[in-house]
Amino acid sequence: MPILSIQGVSKDYLTDEQPVRALNNVSLEISRGEFVALVGRSGCGKSTLLSLAGAMDFPTSGTVQVNGVATASLQDDALARLRREKIGFVFQSFQLIHTLTVFENVELPLLLAGKRNARQTATERLAWVELDGFGLRYPHQLSGGQMQRVAIARALVQSPAVLLADEPTGNLDSTTGNVILGLLQRLTRQENTATIMATHNAEAAILADVLVRMRDGQITEVTRR
Amino acid sequence: MQRTILFYQLILRPLLREPVRTVLTILAIALGVAMVLAIDLAGTAAAGSFQSSVETLAGKNDLEVVTAGGVPENLVGSLEGLPYPLKIAPRIEDYAVVVETKQTLPLLGLDLVAEAGRGAGSIGLGDEADTWKYLTSKESIWLGESLGRKSGETITLLINDQTGTYTVRGIFPDLHGSAAAIVMDISAAQSALKRFGRIDRVLIQTPSYPGLEEWQQRIRTALPDGVQVRAAGAGTNENRRMLAAFRWNLRLLSYIALVVGAFLIYNTISVSVVRRRTEIGIVRALGASQSLVLAAFVGEAACLGVLGALVGMPLGRFLAGGAVQLMGATVEALYVTSRPGAIALTSTPTLLAFFLGVGVAVASAYSPAREASLVPPIEAMAHGRREYGTRVNKARDLWIALAVGLAAMAASFAPALVGKPLLGYFAILLLICASAFAMPALVDLVTGIASRLLKQVLGVEAVLASRSLSSSLRRTSVLVGALSTAIAMMTAVGIMVGSFRETVLLWMNDQLPADLYLRPAGSPAADRHPTIAVELTDKIARLPGVAAIDRLREYEISYEDMPAGLGSVELNILRSYHNADFLSGRKTNEVLTELRDSNGVLVSEPFANKHRVKAGDYITLSLGERRAAFPVVDVYYDYSSERGSVLIDRDLLLRYLPDPAVSNLAIYLAPTASVEEVRAEIENAVAGHQVLIFTNRDLRGEALRIFDRTFAITYALEAIAVLIAVMGIAGALLALVIDRRRELGLLRFLGAASGQIRKLILIEAGLIGMLANLAGVGLGFALSLILIYVINKQSFGWTIRFHWPVAMPLGALTMVYAATVLAGLYPARIAVRLNPVEVAHEE
Repeated sequence: MPILSIQGVSKDYLTDEQPVRALNNVSLEISRGEFVALVGRSGCGKSTLLSLAGAMDFPTSGTVQVNGVATASLQDDALARLRREKIGFVFQSFQLIHTLTVFENVELPLLLAGKRNARQTATERLAWVELDGFGLRYPHQLSGGQMQRVAIARALVQSPAVLLADEPTGNLDSTTGNVILGLLQRLTRQENTATIMATHNAEAAILADVLVRMRDGQITEVTRR
Repeated sequence: MQRTILFYQLILRPLLREPVRTVLTILAIALGVAMVLAIDLAGTAAAGSFQSSVETLAGKNDLEVVTAGGVPENLVGSLEGLPYPLKIAPRIEDYAVVVETKQTLPLLGLDLVAEAGRGAGSIGLGDEADTWKYLTSKESIWLGESLGRKSGETITLLINDQTGTYTVRGIFPDLHGSAAAIVMDISAAQSALKRFGRIDRVLIQTPSYPGLEEWQQRIRTALPDGVQVRAAGAGTNENRRMLAAFRWNLRLLSYIALVVGAFLIYNTISVSVVRRRTEIGIVRALGASQSLVLAAFVGEAACLGVLGALVGMPLGRFLAGGAVQLMGATVEALYVTSRPGAIALTSTPTLLAFFLGVGVAVASAYSPAREASLVPPIEAMAHGRREYGTRVNKARDLWIALAVGLAAMAASFAPALVGKPLLGYFAILLLICASAFAMPALVDLVTGIASRLLKQVLGVEAVLASRSLSSSLRRTSVLVGALSTAIAMMTAVGIMVGSFRETVLLWMNDQLPADLYLRPAGSPAADRHPTIAVELTDKIARLPGVAAIDRLREYEISYEDMPAGLGSVELNILRSYHNADFLSGRKTNEVLTELRDSNGVLVSEPFANKHRVKAGDYITLSLGERRAAFPVVDVYYDYSSERGSVLIDRDLLLRYLPDPAVSNLAIYLAPTASVEEVRAEIENAVAGHQVLIFTNRDLRGEALRIFDRTFAITYALEAIAVLIAVMGIAGALLALVIDRRRELGLLRFLGAASGQIRKLILIEAGLIGMLANLAGVGLGFALSLILIYVINKQSFGWTIRFHWPVAMPLGALTMVYAATVLAGLYPARIAVRLNPVEVAHEE
């Protein structure tokens, strides 16, 4: 069974009272262990697709199922639990909380879920992204690549089934970006996670197991390698 | 024009995008302005009304002749016999109660024959034949038109302890009630008041040449020593001077709301600057000068100030209606008879309140605006808001706080300046400043501790909340500063009033030892002393079960151009039943023995402080025709009147003022007598006289009721200051939510439920409330010491024993805390409703 199933999904937004279609009848299935790259021009619907996949938004029509559960059928608490337990997010601009240390940023999802031994898990995840010994630093004491690694460690702290990355290398130089991509690929294999990454990066497209091309809110091509 | 457009685009339009926060800021200023205006207008209405009827009906006079106990009637003839072209108008001035409506009105006895002879006179009696016929009739009265009576109607009046029926013979214009009074012929008034042979004032019109001082001198030579001749209306001016401290203190309390508002404007403009830091950098890079940036942010504050003032002025006029009732009652109980006059929205207080509102807004915005103007363009564009938010030097600020605190301490030890506790108020201002400087260190310390402690109890939301507050240290410090200032004033006033109340309770234990008290019916006032018929007092003294009675007589006197009370007591009764407290700490018996042996007087603490009199000094009093010097034997604690009183032995006073009537009776029962039975006997004995009988408990209850009413307006002012602060917290939390929307959106991505976001914002509100309560109680305690030992002492001359009233501050603090947390509800709702997808992709 696919961990993420998107069936006939359309999404409309209201802009100045006018409906604008961001996604148009999109269908896609992703299984665990797959590293998926969503490529296409700005505004083609990549980020919208990620938001729907992450249960942060809901389709105007069609269904999005994560681990067999339709996201639109869930109430706020259940959605929050789904996001906590099944989904991890990585953003272009890292989105770390500057008032928290690296440890505290990484363990935050665990603490929000009320889990114990958060520090131990956070230490382990930081080791995965090769940031041992950086736990007590604050985000402003890190480089861009280090910050993105912290964000990846945080996204993986709950061992999610689905990892969603929106332009994870967009704010990094190409060398650092490649290191991050390699890290994401390794962790996808290691943790058997379904990773979906929206990107403009050609290197990322090459590394992906599944290449999904999008245009004007539609999937135009799916290439599985 | 271009600058106006830019101002709109860069400054005003962002304000319009956040209507709730903008409205909250405007309302905070509006409430501050309203408070200042309301207290000013109400003070004028309450204080101005005591003189209106008496002075208006007096017409234009140049001099007046007065003395304690009344001017001997024969002096009128002497004055008229002087070889000068003087116009002499004798008057009786007292009060009567309209039985039907219980309204207390000035009762004026005029020489109506002379007035009518002058052609209608000052009250417009008319010149019909009928008027002449009734002029000197004992039951004829003339009323002000605002009382709504008609000629020919009858009316029952309570005068002293007697009621009588009077016929309205005419109506005179009374300036819409501000000069409402009951007028009767002087001989009828003397008869009704049983004030035979004496009158209260003689008004004199003098020719313009050779000048008022010369006329005063000439008339003085024709009068006995004890009788004073002074400028007409001097009593009114004395009253006004006497009320100055009361009005001054209330006015300053009303400014606290503006001080709290100043913190919030500071915060609003700081937020504005932080948010537009990048824009500031861009416009500076595009050629805007520093002064333009400064003007833009000061202009923003001025706009908020003008709007707040415009909303505050009608609100102030409205609130003045309620305030004048409370102030009028206090003025009457503590100072002088007052009838709330019409509230006039005159230009001076209105403009003062307007400019204060705008001025406070502009002044409090100046610092963040100047900081904005000094931002180097490149730094502003590169670093963004985080750099700015952390630029707080806690250690330096703590040293400044210490220095300012020491200066406050020094100021609090300084004496009064020009009779006002100016340095005491300055000390309060300095302490508030010191507290503001110490706030970043306190916030940092407490949020650091809270972060660790609360994590165990409230979870990770508490960590996020406390970190958020400490990361925006400046903003949090200003918010906590605003709320803690309001709480501090509330706590300080609460402690001061609680201490005062406790002091009064202890004092009453000594001062009210009698079992029953008796006074003429009618509402009491500090300057009204209706009398009880002397035969009645003798009758009561003879009743079975009555062990002793103390005949108290009170007069109005003027001492050093200030009104005061003169009371006579019976020394033998005092000695047997009282255990009075004296400043010297001497025993009652010792003091009273010296009082009798030296033919001296006792003075109250407010009198001693006002006139700088101490035991061993001599004071000279005008009593009847005589002027006599009395040694001050001691100073006694007295909380019944702020005006100050002189106490003298009854027998000694009767030598100067031989009127034996009494103002109050204190009745002591035999040990075996029942209070209820004796009271019933007294009620029988006083049949036909309108007197009120109080048990000891009733009288204490009444005194405390008046006390509590006196301070009701103070509490109202503090409550409004707290309300302003809580509104500021709501607005600031809203700003905080908007500024942190990306972080809040991120938390949703990380799996936070909406309940957790709500909890986070409410914990922030709770932490602000806790910090403010903590700082407020500490600061409030320090301020209460200044209020009790400096400001109160220098303003009113009372010694208040410090007492920590637990219930009131605890209740008020709990309410404030709850209100602060509730103020977080709306921002929390906004936080929950944020679209995480939108906010996470904003940058």
